Amino acid sequence: MTAVLERTHASLGRVVGAEIRWVLRRPRTLVVLGLLALIPVAVAIGIAVAGRGGRGLIAQVAGNGFVLPVAALGLALTLLLPLAVASAAADAVAGEAGSGTLRGLLVAPVGRARFVVMKAAGVITVAVLAVAIIAVVGMIAGALVVGGPGSLITLSGTTLGVGEALGRIALVAAWTVGQLLAVGAVALAISTFTEHPLVVLACVLGGLIVFGVLGAIPALDWLQPLLLTSGFGAGTDVLRDPLPLDGLASSTLRALVYVVLGVGVTSWRMARRDG
Amino acid sequence: MAAGAVVAGVIGIGGTAAAQPQLPPVSPEDLVASVMTAQPGPFNGTVGIDNELGLPALPGAPQLGNGEQSARVWSGGDGRGRVALPSGDGEKTLVSDGTTRWAYDATDRTATRSTGGAPEQKDPQTDPAGASAQIIGELRKTSQVAVDGTAEVAGRPAYTLVLTPQPTERTMLREVRVAVDAEKRIPLQLTVLATGSATPALQIGFDDVTFGPQDPSLFTFTPPPGTTVKDAPARGQDGPQRQGPPEGTRTVGDGWDRVLVLQRPAQQQGDQQQGDQQRPEGAPDLNALGTPVSGPWGNGRAITTAVGTAIVTDDGRVAVGAVPEPVVAEALGTR
Repeated sequence: MTAVLERTHASLGRVVGAEIRWVLRRPRTLVVLGLLALIPVAVAIGIAVAGRGGRGLIAQVAGNGFVLPVAALGLALTLLLPLAVASAAADAVAGEAGSGTLRGLLVAPVGRARFVVMKAAGVITVAVLAVAIIAVVGMIAGALVVGGPGSLITLSGTTLGVGEALGRIALVAAWTVGQLLAVGAVALAISTFTEHPLVVLACVLGGLIVFGVLGAIPALDWLQPLLLTSGFGAGTDVLRDPLPLDGLASSTLRALVYVVLGVGVTSWRMARRDG
Repeated sequence: MAAGAVVAGVIGIGGTAAAQPQLPPVSPEDLVASVMTAQPGPFNGTVGIDNELGLPALPGAPQLGNGEQSARVWSGGDGRGRVALPSGDGEKTLVSDGTTRWAYDATDRTATRSTGGAPEQKDPQTDPAGASAQIIGELRKTSQVAVDGTAEVAGRPAYTLVLTPQPTERTMLREVRVAVDAEKRIPLQLTVLATGSATPALQIGFDDVTFGPQDPSLFTFTPPPGTTVKDAPARGQDGPQRQGPPEGTRTVGDGWDRVLVLQRPAQQQGDQQQGDQQRPEGAPDLNALGTPVSGPWGNGRAITTAVGTAIVTDDGRVAVGAVPEPVVAEALGTR
């Protein structure tokens, strides 16, 4: 009995490891991660060529390299990062259903809860890697191409040392992963209803655009607390001093609600699914 | 869509109706006197501004339009303070260390320093009770002044001082409410209500406030590298602006239906061909706003908002008041 239990425990780690390897071996995953790495590089080159000027967060990068990872993450979070995560979630269930490999997985002696954990692990891996790549490449490009005083100049006009600047970047990276997990959980839930990965991508991107439009209509501002996208701007808060946590906390809470819903629907759907 | 409903349910649980705290009764005179002598000490908080004044969206000053804004404030006492006005991808920061004031704008990385004319030192009120009695007495000529129960603002119990215009006043305002912190005796919230509307036309107040010592480094400012530092023209020294009311300014009426009639700066008249170049920076172009009106006083344009009316005449006069248009026109007619 004990031996059997031990074996099942080991097998969770093994199936998760197998799934992550499977996700990372997909050429499209690697291509997406590589393309995401180009975002901070492109911004850095643009700033270096065009110099200071213009408005918005990108303009803050000039002469202030530590802002680059924050600006690049904010830029990518609007569409590209959700796209990367949604495509991983689309492949995870709908893709396997479409190619007929899902049936084999469901027949295998892997519990349905374990199956959801395994698929979620693949999505989380892509989200974490995508954010980490943008943040790390952003820091390198910020230091090499943009340069700066070796410290972070905040929007409030204060100067933060390297240690605190790295802490702020780590914070915005963790927060961005949280927002992406919300997108990923909902995408995974949609993924269990279809066998066409494109449907998942269309739903997620369409949903984000609709959320953005709804959030921009003044008469619908009572909807704001419900819309995931209305918290996407909170990442900029890490550039303020003293650090305001309200926006980051409320948007993370909102993301958590989406994660719970997405995982709940996914589990409910997979528990009843035959193939 | 079920997802949305559940999210609504989860997030919607936060706001509960604030109960009216029980506080010992206080007279308006005592309340105002205690506000004038209050020593709240250092604090920090978030101030929310809910603007429904209905001002037209001015090209030069979009922030005056309707909407909600918030500001983070820190006060160290002794004239030291810091205000942060966050916007989507920038921030304006105002810092005062008691003698030098800095205004930093992150969007163009400029810092403006002003030293002259230190913040007006609050006169240590020798006789706050007498002064507040005088203020209340003055207000009572045109208003009903009362302490209208209590309220909870920013999680703190507060008295509500209410100013209501006397029925004879011809104002567009219904009442002005000031919530005063019961313990620290500082104003926590200002609410302006206009006639014919249940929602406030303007509400400025703390969303949260914490009293206690503040980090002294908050009240110093060092311009970061790469900042353009400008010195603001010293106030009160041969600067033409802010020298009190310009010539030709007069008030008509008193109390709530006071109307301010002023002469627009001369270069603004008949400079249409020069367009915006002559206009002082920040002064919005009033020529394209409002509806045309005319009367015995001449022709002009009336700009009506939720709380007041302004008439800009073609011969360069401006009349403003918290009153309906006929009262403003009447004030223009009086000499």
